Amino acid sequence: MAAPSTAVRFDEVTLGYGRRPAVHHLHGDIPAGSLMAVVGPNGAGKSTLLKGVVGTLKPLEGAIRLDGPSSEIAYLPQAAEIDRSFPLSVYDLVAMGLWSRSGLFGGISAKDRARVEEALAAVGLIGFERRPISTLSGGQMQRALFARLLLQDAPVILLDEPFTAIDAKTTADLLDLVRRWHDEARTVVAVLHDLDMVRRVFPKTLLIAREPVAWGETPEVLSAENLLKARRMVEAHDPHAHVCQRGAA
Amino acid sequence: MRMCASAALPEAPPVLDLAYTPFSEFDFMRRALVGVIAIALGGGPIGVFLMLRRMSLTGDAMAHAILPGAAVGYLLAGLSLPAMTIGGLAAGVIVAMAAGLVSRFTSLKEDASLAAFYLLSLALGVTIVSLRGSNVDLLHVLFGTVLALDDGTLLLLASISSLTVLALAVLYRPLVLECVDPVFLRSVSRAGTPTHLVFLGLVVMNLVGGFHALGTLLAVGMMMLPAAASRFWTSDITMMMIASILIGICSGIAGLLLSFHLELPAGPAIILSAGFVYVASLLVGREGGILWLAWPGKHLEA
Amino acid sequence: MRTRRTALSLLAGLLALACPLGPAAAQAPEKLKVVATFSILGDLVRHVGGERVEVTTLVGPNGDAHVYSPTPADGRRLSEARIVFTNGLNFEGWIDRLIQSSGTRAVKAEASKGARLLEGEDNPHAHGHAIDPHAWQNIGNAKVYVANIRDALISADASGRAAYETNAGAYLAELDSLEAEVKGLVAGIPAERRRIITSHDAFRYFGDAYGIAFVSPQGVSTDAEASAKDVARIIRQIRRETIAAVFVENVSDARLMERIAQETGARIGERVYSDALSEPGGPAGTYIDMMRHNIRAFSAALSR
Repeated sequence: MAAPSTAVRFDEVTLGYGRRPAVHHLHGDIPAGSLMAVVGPNGAGKSTLLKGVVGTLKPLEGAIRLDGPSSEIAYLPQAAEIDRSFPLSVYDLVAMGLWSRSGLFGGISAKDRARVEEALAAVGLIGFERRPISTLSGGQMQRALFARLLLQDAPVILLDEPFTAIDAKTTADLLDLVRRWHDEARTVVAVLHDLDMVRRVFPKTLLIAREPVAWGETPEVLSAENLLKARRMVEAHDPHAHVCQRGAA
Repeated sequence: MRMCASAALPEAPPVLDLAYTPFSEFDFMRRALVGVIAIALGGGPIGVFLMLRRMSLTGDAMAHAILPGAAVGYLLAGLSLPAMTIGGLAAGVIVAMAAGLVSRFTSLKEDASLAAFYLLSLALGVTIVSLRGSNVDLLHVLFGTVLALDDGTLLLLASISSLTVLALAVLYRPLVLECVDPVFLRSVSRAGTPTHLVFLGLVVMNLVGGFHALGTLLAVGMMMLPAAASRFWTSDITMMMIASILIGICSGIAGLLLSFHLELPAGPAIILSAGFVYVASLLVGREGGILWLAWPGKHLEA
Repeated sequence: MRTRRTALSLLAGLLALACPLGPAAAQAPEKLKVVATFSILGDLVRHVGGERVEVTTLVGPNGDAHVYSPTPADGRRLSEARIVFTNGLNFEGWIDRLIQSSGTRAVKAEASKGARLLEGEDNPHAHGHAIDPHAWQNIGNAKVYVANIRDALISADASGRAAYETNAGAYLAELDSLEAEVKGLVAGIPAERRRIITSHDAFRYFGDAYGIAFVSPQGVSTDAEASAKDVARIIRQIRRETIAAVFVENVSDARLMERIAQETGARIGERVYSDALSEPGGPAGTYIDMMRHNIRAFSAALSR
């Protein structure tokens, strides 16, 4: 069982599709309350890792243990997976965050309504309530999704490339939110590409290239040596790959 | 055109008289109207969701999938309401579940697995009906008779539409989420797959009800045309559902009146009316109708 | 020497084997193979042909010849036949194409030639004035059918002339007594009640010959779909003329008839047969049985 101060424990985990591992030999803990970045080259298995934690992808081998039920995780996937053309207002999109607390069939009280407005204010989207989501820019959409995350009020927050293709002002504002979450002792794990941002904001980092290359304090993890090692990871599948022998026992 | 002289109407203008008399004079017209209203009530909102979930052709596929079930029912008991209904439901549910589960757990997407199952189903259905009887009955399974709704059928239609409205009210949020952000849904609740399956079940139920009155081919029309038309008038889901119901009812009334006054076959007349509304909406609908797109008017300040 | 003998016996053996595979006409004494397009016609042919003839029917009992889709097996049956008996008058819209595609050398014999014909009601499928094809519902026409069948059989199989003429003669006598029976029963129905609704416009010849008026909600063929106006018209007529009975027959939608009967209070009569026989052994397994069954059903419903 995971110790109370551990939010997520990976136990020799392999995640993948078919028999091809997207990430394997993942072993370690994410302590509760940490602010961690996950970085690595393309195809390194970063998104897959988050999917494994959320539970949408079952590990091929090993186990991922969570401290608390999986409904206590707020997950922001890469933006592409939302159907923007659906006739939904910003208010309704954001209000979805409440549903993870009040369930899908409960009503919305006045207090809940106030919380929605609060969340909108926190991300700078007051006045956008009635706007259809199809009219939002990339930055506005991310703000709305962050507002939804706020409402979910979850102890563990996972972000998959939250700032890709977002303007600088929005990025800065949303990073403030991330810091605020960290201050509230929530566990935040974010997949990122911008190493400068990682060095500035995130105390912990996991560098993976299909398997963990380095895991720990950011300055040590993002050393030139580690980065070079990660870059050498081969992206394509090896047609002659054997069954993986490492990590056994 | 003889007007029935027996109805003691106050001085109604001739047009209203045209619209009112057929229903006041004839029981079968009243029943047809009730039947059509029931179908519109259930079919409209379902159609809206099908459309929003990009499953518009699923309705059509499911309609064909129902056929072997109805055929087996017919084989065992002739043109009997309970037999064909249960058969149709069973077949529809099996195909829906199979397609839904295959798309959930394998890499084959819903459209392909549904296509595979419904084609299988249709061929099976035609074979079974040909084994037993004449082609006339196959035609009636396909085209139905909205003019011949007996008590049993009306009860069935009413029950189906009540159940549908209830189920949609309860499942509204998961349904919406499933369309917009299925990943989010999966991360906060496990209601995703059951909701989807229940939804498909509702589709099947409404199609089975529709085919007793209009036949499988036209039943889909009553589901999809009002929904598609409603898209051009509003972008709020609830309003869309209401609009589709109203459009369905109006098409039903118009179709029945056309059949009455102009001697057109009833079922197709209803669908043609719905189609007319669709085309009109396409042209002049407030939300994205072609006329508005072509001449949007001067832009606003902000 | 030996090789030649072997070859000859081999050849003889092959020929012996080939005989049963060749055209069926090689065997004797063998029946004349004919095809009738539908069950009523098949029954008539059987009565005239008797033992000498083997009849295959394409559209079987309770089938609907108006919208029948021929199968490859039908094409095969056609190719083996010497005569194909059709009703004609566009009853079997598919027969000409089937004859062509089967490549049969059978002679086509139209049974309705020379029958007393009636025009069909306007229907969407008619170009101009369609002739109503259900001529056999008039027993007088059935006699013409029998004569045509007899003549066709004789011209294909002259040696059977005597048999065919005897059979035909006997059957014609049966038809005479049937006709007398029908007329008697009709006379027993009060004149003002001789009006019937059926769902298939197939009894016009019967009505024309024996004095019963038939009204229907659909056109001549079964694939025309009813409009509300049609149904309203029938209901108004039933109410206006207080028609007592509504009949369903075996090729169309019983549900519509039920609805009309419910709304007008008319009685729903027994099932009657118009375009096809029932299963053999059923109430209308032969032509004579069918006509008898129908008139008894009409008379029973209308006499009360």
